[in-house]
Amino acid sequence: MSNALLFVVATAVMFLGMGWLALSLPSHWRQVHKGQPASGKLRITGYLAVFVSGGICLVADHPSMAVLVWFMLIALCAFLTAMTLSYRPALLRFIPVFTAA
Amino acid sequence: MQTGNTRQAMAWLHTWLGLLAGFVLMVCFFFGSLSVFDREIDRWAIPETRFDPQPMPSYDNMLKGIFEKSEPDVAEYNQLMPIYHDPAAGDMTPRTELPPDEYWAYTTHRDPVLRMGVGFRVPHPAEADEHNHIHGNLTIDPRDGSLVPDDHLKIGSDWFYPLHYSLNLEWKFIGYYIVGLAAFFMLVALISGIWIHRRIFREFFTFRPAKRAQRKTLDIHNMSGVIALPFHFFFAITGLIIFASFFYFPVNSTMLKPLHELSEEIEASHKGLPHDRAGIDADIASVDAMIADAKHRWSERGMPGEVGFLMVTHVGDLNSYVSIYRAGSDRVALVGEGIHYKAATGELLREDPPHSFAEGAAEFLTGLHLQHFEHWFLRWLYVFGGLLGCVCIATGFIFYVEKRKSQHARAGSQGSRLTDAFAVATVTGIVVAACAMLLSNRLIPTDTSGKGDWEKIVFCSVWGLTLLHALWRSSPVARAMSNPAWREQALTITVLAVAAVIANWLTTGDHLIKTLFTERYLAVAGTDISLLITAAIAWVSARKLAPKPDKSLTRNLSTDTATREVGYE
Repeated sequence: MSNALLFVVATAVMFLGMGWLALSLPSHWRQVHKGQPASGKLRITGYLAVFVSGGICLVADHPSMAVLVWFMLIALCAFLTAMTLSYRPALLRFIPVFTAA
Repeated sequence: MQTGNTRQAMAWLHTWLGLLAGFVLMVCFFFGSLSVFDREIDRWAIPETRFDPQPMPSYDNMLKGIFEKSEPDVAEYNQLMPIYHDPAAGDMTPRTELPPDEYWAYTTHRDPVLRMGVGFRVPHPAEADEHNHIHGNLTIDPRDGSLVPDDHLKIGSDWFYPLHYSLNLEWKFIGYYIVGLAAFFMLVALISGIWIHRRIFREFFTFRPAKRAQRKTLDIHNMSGVIALPFHFFFAITGLIIFASFFYFPVNSTMLKPLHELSEEIEASHKGLPHDRAGIDADIASVDAMIADAKHRWSERGMPGEVGFLMVTHVGDLNSYVSIYRAGSDRVALVGEGIHYKAATGELLREDPPHSFAEGAAEFLTGLHLQHFEHWFLRWLYVFGGLLGCVCIATGFIFYVEKRKSQHARAGSQGSRLTDAFAVATVTGIVVAACAMLLSNRLIPTDTSGKGDWEKIVFCSVWGLTLLHALWRSSPVARAMSNPAWREQALTITVLAVAAVIANWLTTGDHLIKTLFTERYLAVAGTDISLLITAAIAWVSARKLAPKPDKSLTRNLSTDTATREVGYE
């Protein structure tokens, strides 16, 4: 049961990470926010979240299994982020962001 | 060569290899995705086996008797016996008198039924060094040892699963070679695709549904290809690796055959496991005691587990030995930690040592594809990855057609019309065929002889019909419009998938409220829910594909009516 919880958290963190990575791109930023993104910071936060999510996978499983879950989570969350951006970009406003100074 | 030219060359390669291989790869990806839940589809298709997975039953009290009573397969005997037998040594041994040489039993954490098999020896072989086995395979209910009827087709593991690697074309293994070639083309298409796709990161999340058809199709094609790239790459390459040594690079049985046989013998002598029969009859000691000992040894190594695979080699001989392998449900690599016992005495012969790095890597690569592990979340993620592969291939077809159809229409060419029709049969057609097969499985009475064969006939003929239908309806594509077959087959999927769920309810009494809540049985519930989701997606797609009323035409009509009304006044 605790493993299921870990996967929920890993998926959520990965989704956040993908959200930050997407928002670091000006074209996607403009779908959600006004102004300009602080691309560098967003990208670093995004990658950080992607790796934190990988860390959570490692807690849940043997490394050989965790690496597979991690790669597949990247695909799932990237897809979900892309679809949210296409159909309901406003939903991504919940992601806390840095704005360009 | 200039960069521009290389890109063009890569684009050419990607287009044509992708198109050619796409028709095969679609089958591999779609039925591969279904194979992730092959055992669960089996439960749906054979209601008699809807009970919980069982551990390996007692060998001494149950399996032994079943092994001893089993017989070689009639078809295999008729086909192989004349090849294996040496006529100079006398008459062929009758089928039921062939002596057993090898017993095996195999189960996983997802199997309620137990698969077993016997390899029978040919007493007077033409080539004594060869394997010369004629097999008899069976499936039992491990709770009471009763046989599960053989002509009830395991639609998941004996039809959808082999379809994705052999296309079920067994003749000269042609299906394996077609799939292998397609997998190789896929690797080429992935690399050339990356090459020609300029903005990998900038368009990583890009899908613009408001753009015109050609653009948005390319968006989805790029996105589904790139975000699951590791999945696509590793599944294509590990699929090739799994079959490489048997089919694609069979050096062990051709060029390097003497070396391979020598290495086998040396390996056997290193292991202390007899390579050949001694020729002296001997009884078998208690295998249950050996299993208990093996489980004890696994626990001592810090990896307690159940038996996944059990094998008796050189049955009935003094040199006979029993190999017991642990079920590898908790990791990626396949069954392992083998422990071997002398069959006559139960004495320990050998414990397989931990794997070297290279063996471990190879087992990881094949294991990640074959997925015997117990990890439901990863299983579903694999289904998602596989279906994303299908999306990538399907959008590749659509992009190909969208890009060319106006041009072809002007030139009077039938190229995109034909491609589109084949795409219909490969994209929606296989789903229609799969749903029709599941529905037929519930509608054909259980006691019909050769029930499984009828189901296969339904699958193949429905698939054939979807192609005919797509060709018949294809003429609009030649006028740069779209083929109505896409929409009609999507509607057919909706009807068939819902009908399959209802038929399952009516014929077995297992409806979703029961399988989800009152008597939870997730294998059947999952199959039903997946069918309903398929129906929903197909319904939404059909609605989106509905012909939009031509605005210019409507306007003309209404002005027409208006004028007439005015005139009438």
